[in-house]
Amino acid sequence: MFLATRELKHSKWRFAMIGMILVLISWLVFILSGLGNGLSSLSAATFKNMDAEYVAFEEGARHSMSRSVISENLVQDLKAHEQVEDAAAMGSHVAVVLKEGNEDDSEKIDVSILGIEPGSFLEPSVVEGKPLTQGGDYQVIINDSLKEQGIEVGDTLEIEGVTEILEVIGFVEGESFNHLPSIFISIDEWRSIHFAAPGSDMGVELPVNAIILQGDSIEQDKLESAIEGIEVTTKKEAINGMPGYTAENGTIMMMLGFLLVISAFVIGVFFYVLTLQKTNQFGVMKAIGASNLFLTKAIVSQITLLATISIGIGIILTYGTAAILPAGMPFALDPMLVFSYAIILLFVSVLSSLISVRKITKIDPLQAIGRVE
Amino acid sequence: MSGIQFENVSKYYQDGAGSKLQILDNVSLSVQPGELVAVIGPSGSGKSTFLSIAGALLQASSGEVTINNKNLNQLSPNQVSKLRLDHIGFILQTSNLVPYLNVLDQLLVVKKMKGKITSADKMFAKELLKEVGLGSKLKKFPEQLSGGERQRTAIARAFVNDPDIILADEPTASLDSKRAFEVVELIAKGVKTRNKAAFMVTHDERMLSYCDRVYRMNEGKLELVEG
Ligand SMILES: Nc1ncnc2c1ncn2[C@@H]1O[C@H](COP(=O)(O)OP(=O)(O)OP(=O)(O)O)[C@@H](O)[C@H]1O
Ligand SMILES: [Mg+2]
Repeated sequence: MFLATRELKHSKWRFAMIGMILVLISWLVFILSGLGNGLSSLSAATFKNMDAEYVAFEEGARHSMSRSVISENLVQDLKAHEQVEDAAAMGSHVAVVLKEGNEDDSEKIDVSILGIEPGSFLEPSVVEGKPLTQGGDYQVIINDSLKEQGIEVGDTLEIEGVTEILEVIGFVEGESFNHLPSIFISIDEWRSIHFAAPGSDMGVELPVNAIILQGDSIEQDKLESAIEGIEVTTKKEAINGMPGYTAENGTIMMMLGFLLVISAFVIGVFFYVLTLQKTNQFGVMKAIGASNLFLTKAIVSQITLLATISIGIGIILTYGTAAILPAGMPFALDPMLVFSYAIILLFVSVLSSLISVRKITKIDPLQAIGRVE
Repeated sequence: MSGIQFENVSKYYQDGAGSKLQILDNVSLSVQPGELVAVIGPSGSGKSTFLSIAGALLQASSGEVTINNKNLNQLSPNQVSKLRLDHIGFILQTSNLVPYLNVLDQLLVVKKMKGKITSADKMFAKELLKEVGLGSKLKKFPEQLSGGERQRTAIARAFVNDPDIILADEPTASLDSKRAFEVVELIAKGVKTRNKAAFMVTHDERMLSYCDRVYRMNEGKLELVEG
């Protein structure tokens, strides 16, 4: 630290510039991670929020809700299986709704209507209003982002192409599905909306899209062979099967990966060039007795210090940005995620200093003696 | 025996054609604490090579060098850098100060290489700097110092770890003669009062009056000139 802090102080501007680059890179990394997090919850928050481990689809549905139709009767069979702690049916339906009384097309809202058993573990707790009840007659609880569209408890919603009218009885928080705000309804009423067209249920008795399973010790193979006509996936696989989820996530992860590599190079090269410029100086210090360890500590602590400060500023800027971003942006900062990217950035920076360290250990103190001059 | 001893030390390089290039030829010499010995000689005669071997920066091809009863041939690289830190003080030609350290820190960094800096270390460093006339410039950086002041800082730095041996390679090369005298005088005074064994390589024959013995290096051979 002795050399590190004194040099930082003495060459403020030089280090401020590289610090600036690090600040910008880490800022971008955090923003991207927030965006990725926001997008993925937009696409699958309801799935992620579920207190469940596995999902049963129709055999051949390849992890997709929209391709899967199975009978609700299987819930009883699954519950009876020893590895399954609890099971609940679920259905999804993409719809366009309009608040009753609004006429204008521009006030139409895209939503995901999700059918669940009232009172089951799939029902999220309401933050306002009342929870769902059996036979509630098209009562729904909806995501609170719809408040921005002026919807309140007690309002009614028309569904385009369907005659049923929904009554809003409560709000839930942070629930979206397929990039659309979630509307929860009792599974029987969902069925009459989703399978409104005659024959669309393909002859399945009491059709639903999937059955969500609780149970830590579920063995997928055993369950699939025990119960006819289903495939069992983990919740994570089901989330990856959401339309667009893998593509979105993959793009963002790739950008993050590139950024980390870029930052490693920028920092690594900067300090390497600095080290090259200082070969003579390091040679003199070695001649008067500095060990490789002493000089290595100096450069590693310098990079660590600089990176910590820059990443810290990056975090502050990120939270500042988050505060002024429009509410509709799919941007969600997860402190755990920010923290882990900060650690990764720090690690990458320190790792990149190793090329300088290698150079230092190779410097011959002999060059300090007046034989070259 | 303390001080530094050379016994039949030779140094040669293998040149490209496979023939030997002899730089030092059977050099023997002993310097005791309190002695300042000068080495003069034409350019390319091997003076810096000699000094580098004395400072454990370069290995002799044959022969033995002992510093404070330690045979340099038997030390590992880590032990060698520790030996330099503990027992040898270097005064180099020019530009050998660390640019971002102030005068006081130039000395303290040597202490830091050993471990913690105590307040006694600070006192000692300030005292040394006062002796070389820099008591009022402790907070100055090298770029704010004159050539002579820089070299005086380097002299103080060479003494700060209380080494047994002082090695100086043309310490006056970049100075005018008035400052050159001052600098050599300071080295001589330090060697006498602190009882060090010291070598000085120089081109400048006017400086020899301060030295106890003078050797001339000629084509790798060391001859006593006076003393
Ligand atoms: N690595 C090396 N390989 C081959 N020859 C070398 C090597 N290093 C030094 N020499 C040669 O050794 C000789 C002595 O060099 P040295 O630096 O000791 O001279 P010097 O007496 O200090 O000269 P000056 O007064 O000019 O500083 C020179 O002729 C030089 O070319
Ligand atoms: Mg020389």
